[in-house]
Amino acid sequence: MRVLIIEDEPRLAENVARSLRESAGYAVDIANDGREGLFMAESNEYDAVLLDLMLPHIGGLQVLHHIRGAGQRTPVLIMTVREEKESVVALLNAGADDYLTKPFDLGELLARTKALIRRGKGHPSPLLAVGDLELNTVDRSVRRGGRPIGLTAMEYRVLEYLAYRPRAVVSKTELLEHLYDYNWEKFSNVIEVYISGLRRKLDDGSTHQLIHTLRGQGYILQD
Amino acid sequence: MAGLGRGHNSIKSWLILVVVLSQTLLALGLLVIGILFTHRQLRSTLDGHIQAHAMSVAALVRYTEDATGNVYFDDSLMPPSVDPSRPDWYAVWTERSGLLTRSANWPAGFEIPPNGPDHWSFTWANIRYRGLRLFRVPVLDREEGSAFHPQTLTIVYASPTARLDQQVKHSGFYIALSSLLLLAVTIPLALWGIRRGLLPLQELAGKAALVSSHNWELQLPEEIQQIEELRPLTDSMSTMLERLRHSFDQQGEFLGNTAHELKTPVAMLKSTLQSLLQRPRPLEEYPAGIERSLEDLDRLEQLLQWILRLARAEQWARGALRRDLEIIDLTATCEDAIERMRALAESHNTTVHLSRNGPMLFRADPEDLQLIWTNLLQNAIRYSPEGGSVAVVVSWGSGGGAQIIFEDHGAGIAPDHLPHIFERFYRGDPSRNRATGGFGLGLAIVKALVEAYGGSITADSTPGKGTRMTVVLPAVPKF
Repeated sequence: MRVLIIEDEPRLAENVARSLRESAGYAVDIANDGREGLFMAESNEYDAVLLDLMLPHIGGLQVLHHIRGAGQRTPVLIMTVREEKESVVALLNAGADDYLTKPFDLGELLARTKALIRRGKGHPSPLLAVGDLELNTVDRSVRRGGRPIGLTAMEYRVLEYLAYRPRAVVSKTELLEHLYDYNWEKFSNVIEVYISGLRRKLDDGSTHQLIHTLRGQGYILQD
Repeated sequence: MAGLGRGHNSIKSWLILVVVLSQTLLALGLLVIGILFTHRQLRSTLDGHIQAHAMSVAALVRYTEDATGNVYFDDSLMPPSVDPSRPDWYAVWTERSGLLTRSANWPAGFEIPPNGPDHWSFTWANIRYRGLRLFRVPVLDREEGSAFHPQTLTIVYASPTARLDQQVKHSGFYIALSSLLLLAVTIPLALWGIRRGLLPLQELAGKAALVSSHNWELQLPEEIQQIEELRPLTDSMSTMLERLRHSFDQQGEFLGNTAHELKTPVAMLKSTLQSLLQRPRPLEEYPAGIERSLEDLDRLEQLLQWILRLARAEQWARGALRRDLEIIDLTATCEDAIERMRALAESHNTTVHLSRNGPMLFRADPEDLQLIWTNLLQNAIRYSPEGGSVAVVVSWGSGGGAQIIFEDHGAGIAPDHLPHIFERFYRGDPSRNRATGGFGLGLAIVKALVEAYGGSITADSTPGKGTRMTVVLPAVPKF
């Protein structure tokens, strides 16, 4: 999963990003003003956007209007210092999916972001299941047929992304877009490395494989 | 209201006092005038009676049957006294033979005053009398014949005035009684009128008591608004309430803004500490985390200091603070500020030019001026392009005050941001963002301080060409 933080206070943005990376294994990009944030939101595919309201250049509300105006369905969580009912109502009416008032609890922000991503993918439950494969997105544990499977952080991120879209073809580019933040060089062969690692661990002791390759198109996770 | 005693602090009791006093005075005046008038009227009636009696006495003087012209007094037909219960006095003198007759009760030793009016008043043996003197009264009883020698009489007639005095006393009593009765009717009427007349004041006070920090509206009924005497009061009350509401709102806004601004650094500190605790970390990460927290705290502290500085400047601008101020040279404080900003200017590769106009004396706290100049300089330097220049011009303004201009040739300020740059916490224009610690308070503090010295600050800017800040300080600051 890849998350964009638009926040003009670099220290706060860095803390939030660090928490999302460490505790959820998300790829996180940071924009320190509205203009940069809007550019990044429009030029990359994010699974969630965390948006501050008081931003230089373009205010947070305007960024939200632009994102929604362009038809983007990315879930947006607003980080605001205002907690008056009117401003909350205005935010939700402008297309925000959730809000959190500063100063907030990092754990709560993390949980809300995860919930937003789940709902955005059409899976309100934190448990994902494809065939006999089970993923718990809260503690990032994976089981197949009741057997726990130990994955590396990157392997889990690839599998989680695929598990949110079971039986759909996911291209390597899409995987790269959603698993790496802006600062990473994107080489498609890394994905192949993770997929083969995943296949080896998931299919160990099973009769059929879960991850299928469609040559030239991408991967499908299905029973 | 200077006539009010210390204990009379009520308009109502003052008005009541005035009404009662004036009515009583009126009644007393009526009484005195009534008594005097009645006395005059009755006395002139009495004078008429006395005159008539005197003439009757004259009619009783008759000539003898011979032609000598001698007279005698025929008292058989003497009329009763003017006041039948109190005998009158009389005496008649003839021209040739002197005293002809006098009443039996004529007092011995009574002297008739030689001159004075015909009617006069006097007191004899503690009894008050009204007297009449008639001279050269012809004897009415005429005789025919050439040898007849007529003569004239002098008549004095006096009557006690006891009955007149009694009547005057009675009429005085009746006037006083009727005045009292009238007072008993008119005073309550006046009191009722005063109370009714003061009702709008009570209603106004009642409405004013309803005004609070939740309800600033002074809602007055139409009939109170139309009272001419109350209009200056209600008008100034409305104006005062409007001003109060404004400053109350400003205070509330300031508090709200401040609380919101404090949330961001608190959020920073909290997130730093939480991310440190989120998972077990190698021991060496903790000192770094604590250091980051301290940096966050520094920023919080900085913001608090800026807020306090602004609050102090604004308080002082409202006249809350007074200090003993020394006379200082404006140009010298500008030079100091430029010196202080030298490092920043050098790091931006920017030169600062100061054009002086000799020493300019001003009464101020040098620290305040330093704060103003360094803030403006800092902005000008930061928004100057690399290798640019900032001009500081100190001169006499047109109004006799000092004019200090800070001009840069940077990106300028967009027209829609320009009107707001002096507002607290305004950071709409990012290029002005971090100039004064990034809190959006620097220019608000500058403005509050300049205004505290009775001056003004204006900003002109052309996007792409630069910004010019003009501070005007009055020659003699007002305080």
